[in-house]
Formats: sequence, structure tokens, C-alpha cells
Amino acid sequence: MAITSIKTGSSFTNLIKYNDFLAGNTAYQPTAYESIATVTVGSGGSSTITFSSIPSTYQHLQIRGIARTNRSDAAYDIVKLNLNSDTGNNYSHHFVYGDGSGTSAGATTSTNTIFNYYVGTGFASANIFGTLVIDILDYANTNKYKTTRTLGGVDFNNGSFGFIVLGSGNWRNTNTITSISLAPQAGNSFNQYTQFGLFGIKGA
Amino acid sequence: MATYKLISSVTVGSGGAANIEFTSIPATYTDLVVKLSARNSITGDVYEDLGIYFNSSTSNLTWRMLYGTGAAASTTSGSTRYSAFVPTSSATASTFGSVEFYIPNYAGSTNKSYSVDSTTENNATTVLQNLSAGLWSNTAAITTVTLNPETGNFVQYTTAYLYGIS
Repeated sequence: MAITSIKTGSSFTNLIKYNDFLAGNTAYQPTAYESIATVTVGSGGSSTITFSSIPSTYQHLQIRGIARTNRSDAAYDIVKLNLNSDTGNNYSHHFVYGDGSGTSAGATTSTNTIFNYYVGTGFASANIFGTLVIDILDYANTNKYKTTRTLGGVDFNNGSFGFIVLGSGNWRNTNTITSISLAPQAGNSFNQYTQFGLFGIKGA
Repeated sequence: MATYKLISSVTVGSGGAANIEFTSIPATYTDLVVKLSARNSITGDVYEDLGIYFNSSTSNLTWRMLYGTGAAASTTSGSTRYSAFVPTSSATASTFGSVEFYIPNYAGSTNKSYSVDSTTENNATTVLQNLSAGLWSNTAAITTVTLNPETGNFVQYTTAYLYGIS
């Protein structure tokens, strides 16, 4: 049986109601924000997470994730980001952060990766993960070097330690981004339950 | 489930552009997002102030900002439209800044708050990264959003995308 109408106040009011394509109605417009892939680290850990074969059909990319590494000598670690498997000194990165008691900023130029700050480690209390949102605008625009912008941080629930960080990076290459690799900077493995999702945002 | 829809986009052509303007924004969404990948035409400093204003009004705009220069961090406030930054032609070639403006409840009847996260980038120490909280003390629904650098123009290949969230 076809549903021919949905009335306000009915049990169907929480459904999304789209107009049909009959003359006079606004055409259905799909969301511009789509999941491309998601990786969740299993019990064995993972040294690198790579999104490959990224389609060039979106305008922007966004990575959203939580992460914890097996670093054992400090409570915080950094997520390295490399593009298209390039590990040459073709990157720069910058940060500004607050840790609850002060602020700081820094820069690294002509380096071989982009740092994204900060995530938790095995040195921190159990089950504490850092969070990251990484935006890459115009990732398929071959007239531009690629700029990343990251909002991230972690709180360690000990009353005096944690970070909120705005970071950025630049890859001095105009190629379309087709792969993104993420790896711990000090540890050698992401812990179980680390998760990164890659999303595409349409521009047309 | 929230939906994220493209309302309009602008790509700057070879002549550059003094500003980017989105007009006739429908009131049918709950929030607006502007994603801007931009570079400025001036030389000298490696970054330039970037402004945002609404409904062609440059009055009653205030903001608070946390920022980093690549070497130091600080905080400031202002009563202008310039609450973000873009790299200039003195920054590393072909390098464009990345800016996101988030404007919640843009069609509501309260004063309009917005947030910014912005970075310029440069293969050198000096950049300008900032997080800003801005306020337009006006209760009108936002129907126009304008972006403009304080001096100079947006260069070719600068892009701006306006999305509606509902």
C-alpha cells in the first residue's frame, strides 16, 4: 500500500518529508555531507590508518576522529598526517593551544609530515581518547597547494592537564589528494577503539 | 538527522575580487556554514585581516579572539568586521588559507552570534591562526553574507561555499 500523505500530529511526524518531483514542488536535494569511509582500530592496534582511492567528486574533505596511542612515556601524543604517500620535506605546520593555564604557539617548516595535536596515550588514564576534526578545503583543486585545518584536543580528567589546539598544515603540492595516512608521532601504534571517519562535502 | 546542503558558491576569476557576497539566503535552514579557501593580493605582511558582515551592515559587530602567530599566542577583541585572516601574496606561493564561519540561528529573532576558525599557512614561522566568537547586535534574519579583506583583493582560485544546515 502506498503512503499518499503524512499529516501533522500523526505518528509519522518525526519522518523527513520530501516533496515529490511533480510540477510545482521543489526538487529533492540530497545532503552535501557524505561518509566516504570509517576505520575503527581492532584489538591488535594499528600503526597507520590510510584512506586510499579517495574520489575527486567532492569539494572538501573532513576527517573526524578519536585516538589514543601506545606511547608509554607521556600522556599525550600527536597524529601525523601525510598525503598521497609523500614523506618528503614538502610540508609545514603550525599550532596555537591552550592548556587550561596558559597559551602557546609554534611552527615547523620544510618538514616531512603535518602534526595534528593532541590525543591520549597508554600513559594517560584508561579509556581517554583525544578528538580531532581535520578540514581540507579544495582537496582536488590543482591550482592550489593543500592546506589542512585541525581543531583538536584532549582532557585527562586530573584537573590540571589537557589541551585545546587549533592546528594547520600545508602540503606544497598541487596534486589532487587521493590518499591520506594517519600515524602516531611518538607511539608506534593506535590503540583499540581509535576511530577515524572520512567525509566528503559536495560543492555542486 | 541533520542535513547539510549547498546554497551557493563563488570562485574568483583571473581579475580578483574585492569581496564575495552571498545574497537572497533563504530562511529555511537552522544554521549557516561558510567554507573559504582564500589568498589576498597584497604584499608585505604574510597575512591580511578578513572581514565578515551581514545584510550589508558593517555596524554593531564585535568579537573576541584567541590567536597564534607561529611563535606566540595571545587574545584580543575588536569592534570591527575583521575577525579572521587570509594569507597574502607574500606567503608561500599557491598557498591558500582555510576559514570556516559558523552562524547558528541566522534566521531567528535574537542578536546573531557566530564562530570562526581560521588559518593562513606559510612555509615559514609566521602565520595567523585564530578562533573567534563574533556578535552582530541585530535581530534581523540574515539574508546576505559578505566577506572582504581589509585591503587588497581575493586572488584567482579563491573559493567560498555557503551551506545550510537543517
